Amino acid sequence: MTSLLRLRGLTKTVGSGRAARRVLDDVDFELGAGELCAVVGPSGSGKSTLLHLAGGLDESDAGDVSVAGQRLGGRSDPALARLRAQHVGFVFQAFHLVAELSGEENVRLAARFGVPGAARRVAALIDAMDLRGVAGTRPAQLSGGEQQRFAVARALVNDPELVLADEPTGNLDAAAGAVVLDLLRAATDAGRGVLVVTHDPAVTARADRVLTLRDGRLS
Amino acid sequence: MRGRRDRVLVAAALTAAAGLAVGVAGSVGFALATGYDRAAQRSDQPDLLARFAPGRLSALDARLRRLPNVERIVYRLEVNRIALAANGRSRRNGAVHVVRPGRRGYAIVAGRDLGERPGEALVERGVAREWGLEPGDRIDARGLGRLRVAGIALSVDNVAFPLATVPRIYVAQAEIDRRFGADPDPGANLALVWLADPDRLDITLAAARPAAFGLRTEQLLTRRGVQQVIDQAAGIVIALLAVFALVASACAGAMLAAAAGADVRRRAPVLGLQRALGATRRQVIAEQLLDVAVVAAPAAALGLGVGAFAAAAPTSALLGYLNEVGPGLALLGPLAAAFAGLVAVVVAGAAWPAWQLTRRPVTSLLRGGDLPPAPARRRTGGRASSTGLLMLGARFALARRGRWLASVGVLAVATAAVLLILAVADLLVSLRDDPGTLGRRYALTVPGTARDAAAVARVPGVAAAAQRSTIEAADSFSLTQPLRVVAYPADHVAFEAAPLATGRRLRTAREVEVGLGLADALGLRPGSLLAIQSATGRELRFRVAGVVRALENDGRIVYARTAPLLRDDPSLGGPIAVRLERGADRGEVTRRLARAGFVGTPTGAATLSSRSFLAVLATVLRTVALAIGLVCLAAVLQTLGLTTRDRRRSLAVLRASGARPRHLGALLAGAAGAILLPALVAAVMLQRFVLGPIVAGLTADYATLPLGVRALDGLVAGGGLAFVGMVAVVLATRSSIHQPIAAELQRDA
Repeated sequence: MTSLLRLRGLTKTVGSGRAARRVLDDVDFELGAGELCAVVGPSGSGKSTLLHLAGGLDESDAGDVSVAGQRLGGRSDPALARLRAQHVGFVFQAFHLVAELSGEENVRLAARFGVPGAARRVAALIDAMDLRGVAGTRPAQLSGGEQQRFAVARALVNDPELVLADEPTGNLDAAAGAVVLDLLRAATDAGRGVLVVTHDPAVTARADRVLTLRDGRLS
Repeated sequence: MRGRRDRVLVAAALTAAAGLAVGVAGSVGFALATGYDRAAQRSDQPDLLARFAPGRLSALDARLRRLPNVERIVYRLEVNRIALAANGRSRRNGAVHVVRPGRRGYAIVAGRDLGERPGEALVERGVAREWGLEPGDRIDARGLGRLRVAGIALSVDNVAFPLATVPRIYVAQAEIDRRFGADPDPGANLALVWLADPDRLDITLAAARPAAFGLRTEQLLTRRGVQQVIDQAAGIVIALLAVFALVASACAGAMLAAAAGADVRRRAPVLGLQRALGATRRQVIAEQLLDVAVVAAPAAALGLGVGAFAAAAPTSALLGYLNEVGPGLALLGPLAAAFAGLVAVVVAGAAWPAWQLTRRPVTSLLRGGDLPPAPARRRTGGRASSTGLLMLGARFALARRGRWLASVGVLAVATAAVLLILAVADLLVSLRDDPGTLGRRYALTVPGTARDAAAVARVPGVAAAAQRSTIEAADSFSLTQPLRVVAYPADHVAFEAAPLATGRRLRTAREVEVGLGLADALGLRPGSLLAIQSATGRELRFRVAGVVRALENDGRIVYARTAPLLRDDPSLGGPIAVRLERGADRGEVTRRLARAGFVGTPTGAATLSSRSFLAVLATVLRTVALAIGLVCLAAVLQTLGLTTRDRRRSLAVLRASGARPRHLGALLAGAAGAILLPALVAAVMLQRFVLGPIVAGLTADYATLPLGVRALDGLVAGGGLAFVGMVAVVLATRSSIHQPIAAELQRDA
């Protein structure tokens, strides 16, 4: 199996002084192509931290991270950004669409940072997610499900190998959540690796692998 | 923690920048506004100073001691056209004041006063500065030989050398007696009069004319008249400095208040938590204000101190030219007031939103102050519109309309002020170098008599030559109104032609043209009678033919024919004004004149002596402009900082999606452009239609100033704003990319 994400000896402490807490303690993990892996655990267990480290949004205290065979450690900020643009897509619980832009403009904005030709995929993604009718609408006028679908489209516009989703169904009703889950499942069918942090049983039910993060350990 | 530190630093920098601007403009303005009074007090300036034709002291005293309201009179002998030389510098038109025991009418600023030691002199402060003289140095005076400089004196009866063209020294009567023998009734031509009640000067003046009957009164100068002369020397530029001080203060105040308010709004959840824990509104507000004041106070003090320090040297030079005295420790009072004002503005800017926020329900505060999306004014359907990063940044900046308007307003006013400064600086350069600014058409002067004019006119390249005579006189009915008479044998328009405001050009020897400044002061209009008391003490009467817009002497000028002045004083002379033929090279004509035996002097609009003064004024203006430029930088930085703060999550998502620093820079450049471009346009309009006309109105008494916006000045201002924007974008981008993406994603907006 091709390893799209590899974590080795990953350690991270949050807080300082007496409030310091080791949320990741020597974590090893691999995610292969075509695999949807769910990470569950109590609130504050470090699930989101794990996701952020995997995507190069934060720095670990120890260990290393490789995405699509490329190590993240030691890279400059612009180099990390380029790597994210080309290999990683993010989906957030709160969608995080830019309020002043329409749904389609949000997707097109992410395409500016990626590989040449990414902009041509915007229309196809919009159509594939059945968002053509609301493509020109701003997020404030969209439903939660529509916003999250635009967010998924944004995550996929640069055709990344790896998708990292932080509670993607957390703010959605069951029906909307199911649609989003279908999209993430379809992404793995296309050969991508999807790592999902979730509390949603519907997600864990459709995951290829479910891991629990507790006391800094992934099992 | 880093984010909080950055915000504190930005707030402190903003306050310090405001303090700098206020410190520069305020210290300059205060020093100039109070300099004369300090100098007059320090130098024990007499209330009245009268110059007469030389005579016996006893004769003078017999007339003047009968004047009412007089406390003390001291007499001096002023000897003119004495060659003075020191340290390789010299002037042939120096003046020596022979000082008798009693009140001095000057202050010793270095060294000591004249005493019993022989061979000593005091040197006027302007001369000492220009010629590099200190106590103990030597100065040569024709007729007196080499004298030792005992001290340096400050006297406020005129502006300082070289602005006043006559260098002056003081020697004791005892020195003259030693050299030439004691005279029981020495000569005197200068009376320094101190009044018992200065507020009743008019009584003394009214008695002065009949008392001086039979004496040739050359000049009668009151303290107020001296102040007018000195104030005129600085002209409109000093008034403009006060305007700029107000502009800088207003801009700084607006930005500080906006920044303080924004910071309070951002801390809404903290305020909510405090309220939830039981703190009263007053306690919450007081803590906010204390937080703000703790940052603002040292920053304001630093900015004010640096501003006052930066302005100290050019202000001191300016005061030196005006024979005025710096404020010294007296500046602490206004600086303290400015400090209190700045801190008060910051605190007030935080107090109002804090008051508003604490009125909201606690739960509302705890949810935080998310930036609501701008209301969708129309649904954009169908095709997606272009979403360049620049445009996105502009949209971010425009999302907060109130803040955008405030930022554009502050920048527009500040930039308009800078445009005005550039226009005035251009004018100063013109005054220094281009005689045409004053309406002068002659390019050279050569010393000579009226008979020499014909020979000068025959030199190739010379279009015309005529003797230009000037006398300093006073209005006969108001002796405190000094004026300058410029006379030519025939039509003066060929040599200088200030634009006509009303009436017509003079045609006969009984007519004159008067400057607007004088016309306003004396209520003159075409057809009015002008009575002048000349140097001989006689009264000359003219009919006003026209009123002209003249800058020279701040418009207190009279153009006349030479004939009546010659009848009054046959010894009247003056240099020969030389007008060049079109296309003639001034340097070449000067060489031809030299071969013909005439030494030509180039004509600037300013005299040689005032060019350095104009340079000092330009330095002061540039210092104020720089301070205003820093205010602009702080304004743009503040706006970008607030924008990135509002949009931190959006920016974090962009970075997570692969946006590099240059992408963020482009976005912030769009935000900066959304403020700077409209600000530049508004600034040009403001300067063209508001500030420029206001300032031109200030000088309308003197001249029509060309205060429009030149293309070059607009480019300079635009370039300056672009530079400011670029620096702000770079700093804001660097600050933004240093924020951890993960942390930013989890923050509230």
